[in-house]
Amino acid sequence: MNRLRNLLPNTLSYLWSGWGALASLLLFCAVWELVGEYYGDLILPGPLEVIGQLKLMFNSGIAGPELIISGRRTLYGLFLALAVGSLLGMLAGFSMTTSMLARPLITLLLGMPPIAWLVLAMLWFGLGDATPVFTVFIACLPIVFAGAMQGTRTLDNHLKAVAQVYRLPWHMRLTDIYLPHLASYLFPAWITALGTSWKVVVMAELLSTSDGVGAALAVSRAQLDTSTTLAWVVAVLGVLLATEYLLLEPIKRHLERWRVGVSQ
Amino acid sequence: MSALQIRNLQHKYALTEVLSNINLDLAAGETLALVGPSGCGKSTLLHIIAGLLTPSEAVIKNDFRGTACMFQEPRLLPWKTAEDNITLGLKALHVPKQACRQQAQNIAKTLGLTADDLNKYPHELSGGMQSRIALGRALIIKPDLLLLDEPFSALDIGLKLELYRLLRQHITERGSSVLMITHDLMEAVRLADRIVMMIPEPGRLIGEFTLQQSHAERSETWIYQTTAKLMANDRIRIGFGLAEGSLNLTEHLHTQHSGCSI
Ligand SMILES: Nc1ncnc2c1ncn2[C@@H]1O[C@H](COP(=O)(O)OP(=O)(O)OP(=O)(O)O)[C@@H](O)[C@H]1O
Ligand SMILES: [Mg+2]
Repeated sequence: MNRLRNLLPNTLSYLWSGWGALASLLLFCAVWELVGEYYGDLILPGPLEVIGQLKLMFNSGIAGPELIISGRRTLYGLFLALAVGSLLGMLAGFSMTTSMLARPLITLLLGMPPIAWLVLAMLWFGLGDATPVFTVFIACLPIVFAGAMQGTRTLDNHLKAVAQVYRLPWHMRLTDIYLPHLASYLFPAWITALGTSWKVVVMAELLSTSDGVGAALAVSRAQLDTSTTLAWVVAVLGVLLATEYLLLEPIKRHLERWRVGVSQ
Repeated sequence: MSALQIRNLQHKYALTEVLSNINLDLAAGETLALVGPSGCGKSTLLHIIAGLLTPSEAVIKNDFRGTACMFQEPRLLPWKTAEDNITLGLKALHVPKQACRQQAQNIAKTLGLTADDLNKYPHELSGGMQSRIALGRALIIKPDLLLLDEPFSALDIGLKLELYRLLRQHITERGSSVLMITHDLMEAVRLADRIVMMIPEPGRLIGEFTLQQSHAERSETWIYQTTAKLMANDRIRIGFGLAEGSLNLTEHLHTQHSGCSI
């Protein structure tokens, strides 16, 4: 009952907090417009022109399919990384030895430039879907793995003792003790992984495939078409913002409603 | 016949010896109060009995089936409402949700918590409310052995008296044994059948006091007088550093099991 009663004001306050984000985006557009006017349309077209171009691309049916292709590759790679990374990270976090073994590996993987993975993937998988999917997967994996491991390691020993004294069965330890604590480490990692995945997929497509946003960018670069290029960039950023603020952030808020000061 | 028997218990944290040669018995239905200065190893002993720590050395025979432990800190799960915290142990015993709810509401009432409090998260509750919820979480599973680490230290006098009554009622109804740690001698005199004194460096038991008065006959006057008598006792005074002197430890080994009666 109580939770239902809280749902409406919480949703409203979340939407209200969107005004701040909107204001900062509009400010960014204003600066963009100013700089664009200074350098001229050929070098930096203003936001209105770019959005017009994007609309044109959607209406003529170019943008939609390409975004869907890229989106599919991102999702495959990302979901794989989220599932494998979260699971392995948790398992590694349960034991002192495995987490000590895993730490330098994470540093290594995080430091590896995605472009290097891309070259390897092209050698291994050729020029198909598998190359961008693999590159996304391997670029996001260490981020998620590190988050999951950190979360598992930092669970308060006091709470583990409570679980032991009250004889919680293993599935309750997971759902009532570990996962709620882990969520506050996993979610930021997932959001970072989401951003990384789009960056990497566009880069991989640019070099390795004939379709998707990255391939389209390669074409517009060849034609020296700055406004189409920027329109693609805006499209990708729009998808990114939408998934983060319309999907992940509300889920995070719901899961972390017990935290001090979340509802404010 | 005691249901819990501890012989020659010794415990070390790394190289520091915190418990040395502890011998302790607890009979079914008995309430034992453990007193001693801060840092002498009371909580450590409690954790060993709860099975959370493995002692360096000991022979322990434990016949209790259900054990509940209330820690020195509330240790509530911050992501669960008060109600879900109280029913944690029941849920682990596969009690249906509806029955959990009902029992939580009943016990909350006796603990002086409102239905509204039950829907709150721990950070929205006061320290005393949190410790009452921790007590509820321990009582609700109706354990044979109840381990309480300073259960009432965060409460006001009125609530304390109320909860003393609740605890005694629980003990008589269930026949549970209780091992409670307290810093309040009067609380120990009020609730316990036996008081055991511990001293630090390393933690040792140096005396025990059996209270023979039945619980029904413990009047306020009797409680005050007995507490005053205990406060005047040499072992207690020296143990708490109220008086100079050293305790003859060879002597206590003999007196320990006979005990000083009051
Ligand atoms: N995890 C630990 N690692 C190392 N030393 C510890 C640990 N826990 C407790 N100690 C030490 O063991 C001794 C006994 O601690 P314990 O918590 O049992 O005391 P206590 O009698 O419960 O004190 P209080 O009345 O203040 O709660 C202390 O000297 C403390 O420093
Ligand atoms: Mg203690």
